[in-house]
Amino acid sequence: MDLLNLSIRELNNLFVNKKAKPSELYSEVFDRSASSEAALHAHLSLFEETNLKKAKNSDQRFSNSENVGLLDGIPLAIKDNINIKNEKTTCSSKMLSNFISPYNATVISKLDTEQAIYTGKTNLDEFAMGSSTENSAFGLTRNPWNTDYVPGGSSGGSAASVASRSSIAALGSDTGGSIRQPASFCGLVGFKPTYGTVSRYGLIAFASSLDQIGPISKSVDDARIIYSAISGHDSLDSTSINDEQIDMPFDKNATIGIVKELMEDGISEESKKEVDKVINILKQKGFNIKEVSLPLIKLSISIYYLIAPAECSANLARFDGVRYGLRVDGKTSYEMMENTRAEGFGDEVKRRILLGTYALSAGYYDEYYGKALRARKKMVDEFSSIFKECDYLISPTTPTEAFKAGEKTSNPLEMYMSDLCTIPANLAGLPAISIPTGLSSSNLPLGVQIMSKPLTDNSLLNFSEMLEKELDFNRTPEGWSK
Amino acid sequence: MSEKFDITNIAKLASISLSDDEKQKLSSDLSVILDHVQALSNLELDTNIEDVYIHPLEKELVLDQDVEKPSLTHDEALSNAPKASDGKFIVPPSLE
Repeated sequence: MDLLNLSIRELNNLFVNKKAKPSELYSEVFDRSASSEAALHAHLSLFEETNLKKAKNSDQRFSNSENVGLLDGIPLAIKDNINIKNEKTTCSSKMLSNFISPYNATVISKLDTEQAIYTGKTNLDEFAMGSSTENSAFGLTRNPWNTDYVPGGSSGGSAASVASRSSIAALGSDTGGSIRQPASFCGLVGFKPTYGTVSRYGLIAFASSLDQIGPISKSVDDARIIYSAISGHDSLDSTSINDEQIDMPFDKNATIGIVKELMEDGISEESKKEVDKVINILKQKGFNIKEVSLPLIKLSISIYYLIAPAECSANLARFDGVRYGLRVDGKTSYEMMENTRAEGFGDEVKRRILLGTYALSAGYYDEYYGKALRARKKMVDEFSSIFKECDYLISPTTPTEAFKAGEKTSNPLEMYMSDLCTIPANLAGLPAISIPTGLSSSNLPLGVQIMSKPLTDNSLLNFSEMLEKELDFNRTPEGWSK
Repeated sequence: MSEKFDITNIAKLASISLSDDEKQKLSSDLSVILDHVQALSNLELDTNIEDVYIHPLEKELVLDQDVEKPSLTHDEALSNAPKASDGKFIVPPSLE
């Protein structure tokens, strides 16, 4: 039976009705993930033995008709910056190449409660800093739609794993688009929840006022099931919130805004056409559509590349060769730290730490970091004002389709620009989703992004699911469908 | 902007030793990025820094109650240490 293309709900239905077993699914998934490695390198580790045992325990629960959840026996891939107890968490960095986590991230404890299974840890840009998964110390990941192209990043391994059907769904983290951009490049759904609704305890911190964990999946419903399992208040994360979700209309009573600034220069014609396609569907269904302007979006890359490096330089100060990770010896503690960080961090991580250190240094704090924080506040106010007129905002997810491996590695600023459409939702803490809409003339996936106001995650998922049905994308990259 | 950028001093503050080649390459990259973010300098902003929250939803950060709870054991906490002995992290001397 072809289990790899099925949704979580379809698989659960087969298990409940005893037409398939979780261990059969796990074997298929494991064979695929192992065989895809040579072409894609989506994973940094695969966990065969421990999980086959877990899958057999799932078999037993379904066989006994026990009251099990939708994720029981479902194999998920986990981005390698999320801690699973007694497994390596490398963050794709030489700094942590031998780090074994002594504890579980809260999202893993929650998925354990649901009896989900982990296929392995997925490749990423080092410490989640990048947009192509080329900044990994352990080799780049390739796009299953065309291996000459990048899968996006930083959660490129998670996206390549799901797109190649090497896992049923995956967890990623999103600081400036790192879930949505790779999901779009790989023809998948990528969901960044409202800031604070999913605990980051056990996620290796990059930029703490921006980082969120979320799902990458084949369908909106799969994303909803995973979001529902991993969200909730956690006292171990000081930014975790306990607020109720706000219900919004997701039928034709909803008003849709098209973000003017994300349909202008720098966005390819093909990306704009996908938005037009979605707008036409919504018009036919009777939705009220209007163009809206958020002028500060044009400055979002500038705001982000001061705030994120500043926070990264503080967060990554912990990698000093003392308590964990790499150590390169020196005559004094200070020399040891300088040598360790020189050897352990890759170029992009060094670039961002130095930029952040500068932005926070005496004399420049107000000019750079302080100004960026105040500009961010102004952008949050712009969004609040627009959400008085609109329920959902639509834009391309990415300025272009996936780019070729090596195309942007020599120009950091050009690479940063590929996150132009996704960064604003991180700066404002909004829920945002990318759904696949079609293929470009080069046969590479394109997607649209939908944003909504904070704490309307469930309504955003309902609205996106309605669009997903109309778009009927549902495609598997050639060579990975069977 | 780039005139003010002293890569040797910034690398020292960040505790990263850099080769001369790295200093040259990173200085050039950072100058390009800093020129780009200069776009913010013309922005009129009336918000005071005191009114800006770290939480984008403008929530106060909540600290955990200061009560003893189960945590990592001593051995677990030392399990990834590059050098440990007698239950302690071992580091080179701080002074030469």
